[in-house]
Amino acid sequence: MAAGGTGGNSNKTYSFKVVLLGEGCVGKTSLVLRYCENKFNDKHITTLQASFLTKKLNITGKRVNLAIWDTAGQERFHALGPIYYRDSNGAILVYDITDEDSFQKVKNWVKELRKMLGNEICLCIVGNKIDLDKDRHVSVEEAESYAESVGAKHYHTSAKLNKGIEELFLDLCKRMMETAQAEERLKGNGASQSASSRRGVQIVDDEPQATPAGGCCSSG
Amino acid sequence: MMSQRSERRGIHLDQSELLCKKGCGYYGNTAWQGLCSKCWREENQRERQKQIQEDWALAERLQREEEEAYASRHQRAQSQPTITPFSKFEERKTKEKSSKVNTVTKFFTPSAKTPPKKDTTSFDTQSSPSPSSSSSRHPPADTDHATREFIDFLKPLKSGREIFKQCRAFTESMVYKRDMGADELSECVQDFYQNLSDRLQTQFKGSTEHVESVMDEVEKYMMTRLYKEVFCPETTDDEKKDLAIQKRIRALHWVTIEMLCVPVDEEIPEVSDSVVKAITDVIEMDSKRVPKDKLACITRCSKHIFNAIKISKKEAASADDFLPTLIYIVLKANPPRLQSNIQYITRFCNPSRLMTGEDGYYFTNLCCAVAFIEKLDGQSLNLSPEEFELYMSGQASPHWPQGAGASSPGSAALSQVHKRLDLLTGLGERQDRVIEKARQLESDLIDWTDEVEQKVQSVLESFPQETHNPTATTASGTTSAAASAIDSDNVENERLPPPLQPQVFAG
Ligand SMILES: Nc1nc2c(ncn2[C@@H]2O[C@H](COP(=O)(O)OP(=O)(O)OP(=O)(O)O)[C@@H](O)[C@H]2O)c(=O)[nH]1
Ligand SMILES: [Mg+2]
Ligand SMILES: [Zn+2]
Repeated sequence: MAAGGTGGNSNKTYSFKVVLLGEGCVGKTSLVLRYCENKFNDKHITTLQASFLTKKLNITGKRVNLAIWDTAGQERFHALGPIYYRDSNGAILVYDITDEDSFQKVKNWVKELRKMLGNEICLCIVGNKIDLDKDRHVSVEEAESYAESVGAKHYHTSAKLNKGIEELFLDLCKRMMETAQAEERLKGNGASQSASSRRGVQIVDDEPQATPAGGCCSSG
Repeated sequence: MMSQRSERRGIHLDQSELLCKKGCGYYGNTAWQGLCSKCWREENQRERQKQIQEDWALAERLQREEEEAYASRHQRAQSQPTITPFSKFEERKTKEKSSKVNTVTKFFTPSAKTPPKKDTTSFDTQSSPSPSSSSSRHPPADTDHATREFIDFLKPLKSGREIFKQCRAFTESMVYKRDMGADELSECVQDFYQNLSDRLQTQFKGSTEHVESVMDEVEKYMMTRLYKEVFCPETTDDEKKDLAIQKRIRALHWVTIEMLCVPVDEEIPEVSDSVVKAITDVIEMDSKRVPKDKLACITRCSKHIFNAIKISKKEAASADDFLPTLIYIVLKANPPRLQSNIQYITRFCNPSRLMTGEDGYYFTNLCCAVAFIEKLDGQSLNLSPEEFELYMSGQASPHWPQGAGASSPGSAALSQVHKRLDLLTGLGERQDRVIEKARQLESDLIDWTDEVEQKVQSVLESFPQETHNPTATTASGTTSAAASAIDSDNVENERLPPPLQPQVFAG
C-alpha cells in the first residue's frame, strides 16, 4: 500500500492510517482518547474532537506517524464503511466484553474487510472493558480462537484502567511496519522503481545522482 | 439570436425556447449561443484546436521568460558562487553556451533547448524578472503570481532549478493531453508527484516534512496552471453529477436536524454562528484552485462543526457526532459544483495528504456525506417509506401539523414542530388582540376629535358676532391690556400669548 511510506530509505518516516470500527458504546472513542491524550471520561475537555487523532512514535529507531480515524458506527452509516477504510493499513475492531452482540458485529466487520482489502490490512480484535470482567459475556477462549482463525490478533483492554492499550498500538505498528517492509522487498528496491514502472510520465533525470557534499538543502 | 430575443421581449417564453437549439433535450444557454454545454463543446471543437495552437505558442514564450526570470532571480540569491562538483558538471553540460558568461550565469542558464540569444538578459540586476515578461497577452495574473512564488520558494534549494524545470515541462506537456480521459490525466499527475517525491526523499535524506513542504508548492504551481484544463473536464460526466446532487439536495430541503440526529443546538448564538461559518466555508471551496486550498476550506468547515458540537454537547465530537452534522451542513449549503470539486481533489491532490493527513480525514467524511445524501431513504432518517415519499413529493412537510402521523418514529421531530406551531398560533392571537386594541384606540380618537369639534362649535355659536376684529393692528394693540385684565391676579403669566376668548375683548 502506498500509505506505508515512500522511498527505499532506511531513515524514512512511516505513515499509517488506522480505522476504528465497532458498535456504538463499546469504547472506541475512550480507547483513542486514552492512548493519545491519556484521558478517560474527562468532562473538562480541552480536546475539540475525538474523531481524528494522531500519534508520533519511534519504534526501533524508525519514525512512525499514526493517524487514527474514528468511524461513524450507527447502522444507517454502515454502507459508508468502504469510503472510510479505503487505503488503511490497519483496523482496530472493538467489542465490549459484556456485550455479546458487539462481538457478533466485529465478526461481520472482519468478513467485510477481508473481502474488500484482502490480507494487506492488519486486523486487531479488541475486547474492551476488562475491568467489568464479572459481567463478561464473551469468553476469552472463543474470542482468541476466532481471532486466530481469521489471521487477526486479539487484545484485552480497559480504557478506564488504562490496561493493554499501549501494547495494542505498539504491536499494531510493528505489524504494519513489517507489512510495509515486505511489500517494499516485493516491489524490488524501493518505490522509485515501482513508480517508474507505472505508465505515464517519465522524469528525465539530467542531474547527477551524486548530490554535492554539504547536504542538498540549504533553506532557512 | 440576440435580436430575435429582444423582439420577443415581454412575451412569455415557452419551454421549447429554453432548450438547446440542437434539439438534444438539454437546456440551452445564451452564453453558448443557445446550445447546451455538450453541443456547444462539439461546435467549438475546431475553434479549440486553433486555441490549442495559440496556447502552445504562448506556453513556449512563457517557458523562455520563466527560464530567464529564474536565472536572474537565482543569480541574485547566490551572488557568492560556490564551486561544487555539481556546478562543475552543469558547466560541462552548458559548454555550448557563450564562453564569455561567468560561472554563475552558466550555472543557471537554461539548457540547450532554449535559445542562447537571451543570455544577456540574464545579467539583468533589476529586482523584477526580465523586462520582456510583462505583456498584455499574459495568462491571468494569479498564474504568473504562482510562478513567481514557486521560484522564490525554490530559490534556496540546491536542486530548485531542476525541480522548477521539471514541473514546468510537465505542466506544459499536460496542456496537450486535455483530450485524455480524466483518470489518465490524474494518473499522469500522480505519477509525477510520486516520482518527484521519491527523489526528494532521497535528496533530503528522509526528512518527510521537508519533502511535503516542497510537494505542497509543486502542487500549488502545477494546479494553478492546470486548473482550467482539468477541473470538471469535458471528457467526464462531472457536470452532470454536479447538477444531479444539486437537485437532490434541493429536493431534500425538508430534512430537519432532528431526523439526522445532529447534536447541535442552534438556539445557542455561538452554535448558530459556527453553523453559518461552516456553511460559508464549504461553499467557499469552489472558489479555490489548488487542491490543498480546497481541502483547507473543508477543514475549516469541520473545525466550525466541532466547535458547534462541543458547545452543544460539552463533549469532544466523535465520528458519530461529526458525520451527521456535516451531512446537515452540506444539505443547508448545497455547495456549488460539489462533485466536480470532490473529483478534482481526488484526482490531483498530493496523495499523502489525502490518505493519512487530517485534511484527508475531513475530506473522506465529506465524501461519506455526499454518498449518504445520494442514497438516503426513509430508514436513514427514521421515517416510514410513506412519510419519506410524501415529503419528497412535496405533498406533506414535517413543518406542517399532521395530526395522524404523530405516533411515527419521527414523532419527536413532529412534536417539536407542533410546539413551534403552537407558539406561532399564540403569537398570532396576541397580534390579533393588539390590532383589535389599536382599532379601538383609533375610533376613540375619532370620537374624541368629533366631541372637541362639537364643543368648540357650540361655544362659537353662543358668541357669534364679536370675534371679528376690524383690523389686525387694533387687535394686537388691545390684547395686551386685555391680558393683564384677565390675569391680573397672576403677574408671572403676563408674557403668555393673548388668550383667545372673545368675551374679554367685548368687555
Ligand atoms: N467500565 C468501562 N467503561 C468503559 C470503558 N471504555 C469505555 N467505557 C464507557 O463506555 C461508554 C461508551 O464509550 P465510548 O468511548 O463513547 O464508546 P464508542 O465506541 O466511542 O461509542 P460511539 O461513539 O457511540 O460509537 C462510556 O460511558 C465510557 O465511559 C472501559 O474500559 N471500562
Ligand atoms: Mg465514539
Ligand atoms: Zn444540445
